[in-house]
Amino acid sequence: MHEAVFEILDPGLGATVQDRGRIGWRRFGVPPSGAMDDHAAEWANRLLDNPAVTPVVEFLLQGAKLRALRATWIAVTGADAKANVPAWRVARAEKGDVIQFPKNRSGVWVYLAVEGGFFGETLLGSASVYPRGGLGRALAKGDILSHPASAHFQLPAGVAGRAVDRHEVRNYDAAPPLRVFRGPQWDFFSDSDREFFFDQEWTVSSQSDRVGYRLEGNPLRMGTIQIVSEPVLVGSVQIPTNGLPIVTMRDGPTVGGYPKLGILDAGDVSWLAQCRPGLRVRFQLVS
Amino acid sequence: MNWTRYGPRALLFQFADRVGNEAFARCRAIVADLERHPPPGLVEFVPASTTILLEFDAAVEPDPARAADELAARMDKAAVHTVPPKPVTEIPVRYDGEDLPALARARRLSVDEVCERHRAPIYKVYLLGFSPGFPYLGDLDPALHTPRLASPRPTVRAGSVAIGGEHTGIYTVDSPGGWNIIGHTPLRIFDPTRGAPNGPDEAMFLLKPGDRVKFIPAT
Repeated sequence: MHEAVFEILDPGLGATVQDRGRIGWRRFGVPPSGAMDDHAAEWANRLLDNPAVTPVVEFLLQGAKLRALRATWIAVTGADAKANVPAWRVARAEKGDVIQFPKNRSGVWVYLAVEGGFFGETLLGSASVYPRGGLGRALAKGDILSHPASAHFQLPAGVAGRAVDRHEVRNYDAAPPLRVFRGPQWDFFSDSDREFFFDQEWTVSSQSDRVGYRLEGNPLRMGTIQIVSEPVLVGSVQIPTNGLPIVTMRDGPTVGGYPKLGILDAGDVSWLAQCRPGLRVRFQLVS
Repeated sequence: MNWTRYGPRALLFQFADRVGNEAFARCRAIVADLERHPPPGLVEFVPASTTILLEFDAAVEPDPARAADELAARMDKAAVHTVPPKPVTEIPVRYDGEDLPALARARRLSVDEVCERHRAPIYKVYLLGFSPGFPYLGDLDPALHTPRLASPRPTVRAGSVAIGGEHTGIYTVDSPGGWNIIGHTPLRIFDPTRGAPNGPDEAMFLLKPGDRVKFIPAT
């Protein structure tokens, strides 16, 4: 049984239900989706004793507003959107409270978890919404979010004091160098192009979304490298003809014909996800 | 068979040098073998025209590269088997696409000739990609090979039958798209409501990798 717990008053710049993603459907053209910053999403769930696979709501930057339809425990993590509830710790929402994310101070994606977990329709084994592919839709004004009715009274008495250890709270304005493994077409690139990629700071482009993050800087000078379309994994550093990298993100295409210089360490994809347009990032080769 | 690491958890194997009938047959045989006897720790495999990706669970197989040579040999062996062809799926199509006249002019063919040539072959689903269930179909008549539009349309509606380079395909959801639209099918190639809630998830996808397709006139 599910019961209504929040009403969306305003989805802000974009809000979707996400979990850890959809596994096993790439060969049908379905990308994994899932929370862009799985580090933050996982902490939101962990604060509330929810299993890691539990759906959360992911908000893009600022603007979202939700009204609590009943009293419940919540956890907000991820980007700092100047929420009117404390972040990275358990908070109480009373019936009628309006939770808002009015500004964006750092990071890109905000996560909201609720005790028991948000209900999301499971399609192909996951509740992760992938609107572009027709798997669910983004949240809209008036939508009602629900959670299991059995969620109450299950959390221990001390839950109110729970907070994420400060070493786990990330400063999204200062991402560490992002670790990159060699990609399938590593050998197609010249030594100087590879050095060029790792030696410079790249700027995250405003043309970045759940599909891919584009990077701006001095383009690689590679000639045209033509490959037959092949499978693409999340975190791949693709170099299109203009020499400016595109990092495949969680709603990105499952196959592609751009050469892949490298692939980000899975844990560092969540760091890149929280890098706002204009921020500079560096990459580090893992051997 | 050549292979390369693709990050710490995945391997990419190249089972053919170029796209075509031989590659298609090898791919189907390899996929059949992987489905019957998945290697330990395999999370997911993704076949494409000449390559196949195998992704592993780090808890079961922390270093997939250790097993790569053995897997390559195994796939080489499997690839020569003959897998019986699947039945042909008929797709009704109305040749009323907005790019059809321009494509016919560019190919120096009449509109009727384009339609006849497009309807003639039995196509193969080389891979699904771009959007859920979107089939990259070969082998398209070389006389119809046409580059993608210089700038993609913001919206192409689901069911649009189109030509992009050496492939023909069918848009499965309303999405931006750069292929030349030559017609439309009333069939829903991808339908998230099909099969649910109790049917098999695969029922959402009308076409699967390795399937065969024939376009027929819509009535």
